[in-house]
This record gives sequence, structure tokens and C-alpha cells, in this order.
Amino acid sequence: METRPFETKHLDKWKSNLDSCIRCGYCYEHCPVFKDTRWESDAPRAKMIMIYGLLSGKLEPSAYISDKISSCFYCQRCVAACSSGVPLTDIITDAKRDFQGTEFETPGTTSVTNTDCALCLACVRACPHEAREFINGKIVTDTVKCQSCGICVDICPNQAVATHLSYGTDRSSLNQEIGTFLDKDNAKAIVFGCNWSYYPDLQSSVMDPTEDPEYKILINMCGGRLEKPLLLEPLLQNAWGVLVACCPDGDCEHDGNVKAKTHVAALRELLKEMDIDEDRIQLVQIAHGDKTGFQASIDTFMEKINELGPLNNR
Amino acid sequence: MEKIDVPRLINIVGEDNVKTDPADLYIYGSDSSVHSARPWVVVRPGNTEQVQAIMAFANEEKIPVITRGGGSGMCGQTVPVKGGITLDMKRMNRILEINPSDVFCRVQPGVVDDDLNHALKPFGVFYPPTPASSRIATIGGEIGNNASGVRSVKYGATRDSVLGMKVVLPDGSLVTLGARTRVEATGYQLHKLIVGSEGTLGVVVEATLSFVPIPKFRCLGMANFDRLEDAGQAIADIMASGVVPSMLELVDSVAIKAVNKTMDLGLPEVEAVLLYEADAMVKEAVDHEINAMQQVCKKHGGTGLTSSYDAAERAKIFMGRKKLFPALSKFSDVLSSTSLADDMAVPYSKMAETARTIHEIAERNNIIMTAYGHCGSGCMHTKILMEPTRQDQWESARTAVAEIYEYVRSVKGTTSAEHGIGISKASAFKAEKSDSLDLMRNIKKAFDPNNILNPGKLMDAHEDWVTATDLRYTIA
Repeated sequence: METRPFETKHLDKWKSNLDSCIRCGYCYEHCPVFKDTRWESDAPRAKMIMIYGLLSGKLEPSAYISDKISSCFYCQRCVAACSSGVPLTDIITDAKRDFQGTEFETPGTTSVTNTDCALCLACVRACPHEAREFINGKIVTDTVKCQSCGICVDICPNQAVATHLSYGTDRSSLNQEIGTFLDKDNAKAIVFGCNWSYYPDLQSSVMDPTEDPEYKILINMCGGRLEKPLLLEPLLQNAWGVLVACCPDGDCEHDGNVKAKTHVAALRELLKEMDIDEDRIQLVQIAHGDKTGFQASIDTFMEKINELGPLNNR
Repeated sequence: MEKIDVPRLINIVGEDNVKTDPADLYIYGSDSSVHSARPWVVVRPGNTEQVQAIMAFANEEKIPVITRGGGSGMCGQTVPVKGGITLDMKRMNRILEINPSDVFCRVQPGVVDDDLNHALKPFGVFYPPTPASSRIATIGGEIGNNASGVRSVKYGATRDSVLGMKVVLPDGSLVTLGARTRVEATGYQLHKLIVGSEGTLGVVVEATLSFVPIPKFRCLGMANFDRLEDAGQAIADIMASGVVPSMLELVDSVAIKAVNKTMDLGLPEVEAVLLYEADAMVKEAVDHEINAMQQVCKKHGGTGLTSSYDAAERAKIFMGRKKLFPALSKFSDVLSSTSLADDMAVPYSKMAETARTIHEIAERNNIIMTAYGHCGSGCMHTKILMEPTRQDQWESARTAVAEIYEYVRSVKGTTSAEHGIGISKASAFKAEKSDSLDLMRNIKKAFDPNNILNPGKLMDAHEDWVTATDLRYTIA
């Protein structure tokens, strides 16, 4: 495929904003990509430093840099946290624009379609960012427009869509985490927390507990992206219960909370039909930043789960 | 990249924990300071044994090693001026033990300050040094800098909370320093020496820290002053009165204007605002301290006195101070906020004069500077707002910084209260400590005979901070 040379055409206008970035690093703790790898190179600050390097000629463009910059879920939490008011995601989008069509362009966290695609075009219609198009008999993702929201991943009936790099948020990573945790003696429940909310857990550190914790918070990109089989998986692995946390009504720009509520309601019905207490699966809606409310909900849920006891002893 | 045996490092920590791409080296070559340089490789050890193996290798090959926590340092402590290995300690992030009955906790160096306090909270205690960057600052980095924060006036700096530590020396050997007791008189207190040594003596792989009970009552008050000198006198009188505030902050007129301009907070445009806080387990004790501080403020012409125990109200009162940092960053489209001459300490009686002098020096050198800070600890913070792409602004900054430190020395203050020396403040530090530099060099040599740990910092840093490294900005 023919490529064009890399130029900082769209990035040039951001030079003074990048000078304003005081590189405090306060954006780290909010970034799901950094939290997964713990490498500074994956934090929002690093993206700004790399872009500054490209603009100043101190860094040569590369697929490696393109991949790092294109690894963003557009949760905007870094923008909200920025002391200097740097519009990080706008700058990232312009960097992706400058990389697009060059030999260095890479998908990062944007969605890719595999050969299982049945060309039903559901993802094209569902994409809120108009990033997916049907061109020459294929579904093509515009890496600039794609904001890695995952709606296409969720909607695809053939499971033919995936984010190229998921940073621990895809179903296989979550499944693996579920299995690892539930193998522990004291493990009782899985709590699915949404990255768009803050969660009441250590952000970058790990507790060496004297005893194993009873529940594990698993962070996903949106409650709406948790398919029913994934929500049931902990129970199939003998968990005592599953708690799903999502945004309050009207707060989710993808309506992921609506989907999550539908999924959980259906699963509660299913449990009832199977003569299993429906409260083993619960959903709570947590306002952004309400760590205390989230913890209180978890505590109430665990109280109920402990009252119900192990699933096998029902 | 310089010639270095990367496969040997991969053998120690695994391929996933070594980075050599030019982009990674560029990223890890800067922090929150104005400086920039590049390491040859970034390595992420996961345990003490790996740190020991890396140090033994580096010592054998005489390769510089720079230990790095959150990379939030403001003076270039983690900028690898001589290249080498940057040790990213964030993987060693386990809280190993919380022991409420013996009042200590043990942590690895990559534990984030806020995480530690989050874990301590259920025990009703907190780790008090907490700098403003506590959301990303690691305990290892805070030990390196002897970090402190708004409540250090009452609870002290990092050094006051460190009971002991395990340290890997440059030859790879492991030593255990300090104890798990509140007091110790057993020879040299080497763990206290490691605190504030900016990664030049050893690599901390575990720290034993003390903590204190979370007070049941906390009250925050505010007073406005038409004259900066009156606020300064109030600070000195409060600190001499026997009152122990848990916070005593000064915000000057430039800072007030910055907050009003960028945040529209509508603070009174007076010459100075004082924020004072008291905390205790008993409300009467807090009442007593707050009343005493208000009396002193009144005596010196303080007006608009308000105070509150309510958490929401306290947050409202503190908003101006809290928003100051972002306000300065957003002050102007062309001006950038730089951390230069940003944390000197002076005697209480010189606080107002220092703020006034900083304004005069800034005006004379055609830059904007503000004065605010933890005046209860004697710490004065400043930021230099300048156009970082103009060469003449760096010349002005160089002159202003030199003049400020000359003044600080003249009033028997000290170069750094909490951010450390690194590269940016090395010349002022050397001028201030001129008669003990040889002693410090000998201590460094005893720990690190091959000078591999964070070389080119403190005593051995370049005399001119402007040309010591590349600046992170592109100068026209």
C-alpha cells in the first residue's frame, strides 16, 4: 500500500500547549493503559512527551510511537485531571491524524475486524463516531475517528470485532483474572467496575494481605460491554456472587448502563428459573468519583452474599 | 545508546521489564523539572534480588544507575545526566505489613503515597508527610527527597516518619538500617542519612514507616491581610505562641490574582491570605488553637476571619490554595510555569520580607513570580512564569534564581525545604553548604566508591543549571 511521509501538520498548533504541560504526572493514576502495564511510556504524560519529541525533532517517527499514541480509550479522565488544562485527547487525535496513511500507522486500541465478519454492517450502523465504513467489500476502521469505545465489539454477533490492544479489558483477559482469583481459598465474589468511574481500591499499589480477600474488583471499559456469558462465568466457577457497577442513568455516553441493566435483569430471571437466589447477581449505579458509595455498595453486597453462603450449598 | 550488555539485564528481570526504544529513553529522561537527558536503558526490577543483581552488574561495569519512582521530581533528580540504567521502581509496589500494635508499616519503594494512606485508613491512622503529588509520588521517591507537605508543620517531613529500611548498596550487598522502634540510639542513624540523599547512596528496597492517628476534629480558618508584612508578622507570632497548627499557609497577591483570573473564585484581592488549621482528638483543643490563631491574626490587622469544622466548608475555604497550582499553569497562553527556586525555607520572621523580595527580583528581571507555601514549616513556594522558548527569558530566570538564593542565604534560610536539590538547585546548595561539601563527598565515596549512583547530582552537579542538561523546551 502506498504511504505518505510523516509530517506534524496537525500537531504544529499544539506546541505552546505542550510547553504549558508541567509534566506533573497527575494524569497517570487515571489512565487504564498505564494501570495495566505500569510503564510510564504508556501514561498520558508520555504521549505528550513523545509528541513534543516529534515536534522538536528530538524523536524520529516510528510505528512504536504511533502504537503508544494510538493506545487511548478516550475516557477523558486525564483531561479532567490535568493541572495545566492540556487537551490531551484532542492532541492525541491530531497525532493519529498525522500518522494516518504513513508507513508508521498502527491500530493501537482501535477496533479491528477479523475474517469471521459476516458483513451484517451492524457495527457500521452502531458506531457513534462514524469510524466504521463498508469499503470495497470490507469493514474498515478509521483509526482517527475510532475512540475505542467498544460498541462494535459488543454488537458484533459473530465476535469478529476486537480492539487491537485491549490492555486487560477484553473478555479473555477478564476471564483469566476471574479464574486466577477464584482459585484462591477465600474467594467469594467478582465485582465488575467501570473504568469511567473511580473505584475504591488501591490505584497503583498492591496489598500483601494476611488473608486472601473475599472479592476482587475487575475493571472493564464499560458495563455495557460485559456480555452475559462473562457475567455468568464467576458463578460457573463457584463464586458466591457477582456485582456489576455502572454509571447512573443518563451519565453513560454509550448507554452502556442501559445494556448492563438489561443483561443483569435477564440473568437474574435465569437464576430464578434455576431456583438460585437472584441476588447472587446484582447491579449498582455509581456516580463518577463516588469511591465511598462504591465501597458501601460492595459491603452491602458482600453482606448479602455471605448470608446466602456458597452456591453449591443452596 | 551507549554500549551496554542489555541481554544480561534481560536475564535478570525478563524481557518484559527492559526498554531500549528511543521513545522510552526520551520519556524516562525527563521528570517534572526543566531538564532532559536520556538513559541507555530502562529496567524494572520486581524484587530485592533483582536489584542486587543489577547493582552488582552496574558496579562491575561502572555504569550509572538512576533510581526512579513516579518521576514527579521538580529539580531533575531522576534526569540521567550521565546516561546509564534508569531503575523504574514502580513494579516493587507491595504494602508488606500494617502493624497497628507496634505502630509501623512496611512497604516496598514503589508504593504510591495515597495508596498507603488508603490502606491505613481502616486502622484509623495516616502516614503524614504527604506532598501535593501524593497521588503519584512513591514512598521511594519521597524518601529520596525527604518530601513533606501542608501538614508537615505539625507532623514533620519524611525523615521524621522513617524508622528503618533495607537498602541495596552499589556493590549489590543488602543492608538493614534503623529499627522498628520509635527511638533508637544505636550508632549512626544511617537510614536517616539515606532520606534526602536523592538516590546517590543506595537503592531503597523496603521502608519501615511510622504513622499517627487520624484526628477526630479538624478546623480550617482564613484571614485576609491588606499588608504582606502584617501576614508575615502573624505567622511568626503564631509559631512563637505555643500553638501547633496542623497547617499554616500563605497565599500572596500574585497568587490570588492568578486564581481569580483563571478560576473566577472571587477571592478578596488583598496583599496576603493566611490559611490556618488545627486538629486534635478533642474538640476543645482544636477550639483553643483556632481561637489563639485568630487572636494573633486580629492583632495584626487580619480581616474576614472565617473558620469551619465542616468538611465541605473546609474544602470551600481551601479551594483558592488548592486551585493555585493549576491556576498558575493556566495563567497565560504564552507563559509556562517552571519549577525554579521553588521551595526555599526561611526563618518565620523573614517570611513576609522574603515574599516581598521575590516580587522585587521578579519585576527587576522581567518575569512573573508568585509566593505561597507552607509558611508554618518556613517553606516558601514560588513558580517562575516565563516564555520558555525565548533565550532571554532563561537568562532572566538564571539571574533571578541566583538573586533569590543569595537573599535566602543572607537571612540564614536554606535552599530547599521539600523538593530537593537535583540539578536545578545544585549551585545554590553548594554555596550554602560550602564548608561541608568535602565531608559529603567522603560520605558518598564510602557508600559508592565508583560513583555509579545518580552521578552528576548534589555536590557533583554542574554549576550552571541552565546549561547542565538539554532543557525540555525548544528554545528559538
